[in-house]
Amino acid sequence: MKSTKFWTILIGALLLVCVVASAGIYMMRGTGKIANIYQDGELIRSIHLETVTNPFSFSVSAANGGSNLIQVMPGKICIAEADCPDQVCVEMGWIEDGVLPIVCLPHKLVIEISDGGQAIDSAVQ
Amino acid sequence: MSAKQLTRDALLCAIALTIFMIEAQIPALVPIPGVKLGLANIVTVFAIFVYGSKDALAILLVRVVLGSIFSGQITTILYSLAGGLLCFCVVVLIRKILTERQIWVASVVGAIFHNIGQVLVAMLITSTWRLVVYLPILMVSGILAGLFTGLCAQFLYGKLKNLRQF
Repeated sequence: MKSTKFWTILIGALLLVCVVASAGIYMMRGTGKIANIYQDGELIRSIHLETVTNPFSFSVSAANGGSNLIQVMPGKICIAEADCPDQVCVEMGWIEDGVLPIVCLPHKLVIEISDGGQAIDSAVQ
Repeated sequence: MSAKQLTRDALLCAIALTIFMIEAQIPALVPIPGVKLGLANIVTVFAIFVYGSKDALAILLVRVVLGSIFSGQITTILYSLAGGLLCFCVVVLIRKILTERQIWVASVVGAIFHNIGQVLVAMLITSTWRLVVYLPILMVSGILAGLFTGLCAQFLYGKLKNLRQF
């Protein structure tokens, strides 16, 4: 049996580490503006968000029959519609920096923003 | 399982399910998936400490399955179960080295492992390791939420102990 003080210090220290790490993640966000869309771990499309002048949207279908409607505006991207019941990806709203990627687990879809220069098809529709 | 035990577990399960469904109606505070209070775990933690792991597991499983069906999220049940079961095993293990005044510690540790399980499953499903950036952020929210539900369970235990009715 450990004392309550031991657990308090341990949990407090862990909380502090996580707060610092979270702050670090927010501070170190890249200045990149390239949205990479991954399906099942594979890059299916890259969009250079800064070169987008007219908003557009397109839909991505998943292997299990579901689909997501992805909306792109100058400098930001979001999932506008998804035909899954949990709607977690839609609720995340617009992302415009590289902090947290949008994830749609039912359709194995991830959208992240980075400064990486993968195969870019900028504003091609 | 005696009729008394069954009735008691069913009652606890109904309480947990009610808390779960009410919490699901509250809009998310921050747009980060996975951030939630998990109030229904007050019942889980309480059951582990008072009735033991078998009863608590039954309550947890029934609550997760029915909760997924009632909230229309049956597709995500596997992800909920993965996180929930990992968390459950860790709490059952750590329970052995905790006193009855440290119930809240089990809740915090459980929350941490729930978040680790969630992120791992999400990384496996999407094959995208980059989702690991969610971990520290989810752990901050998990520790705070686990502390809150753990203290609720701690107070509940303190109050009910005097009733000598469980």
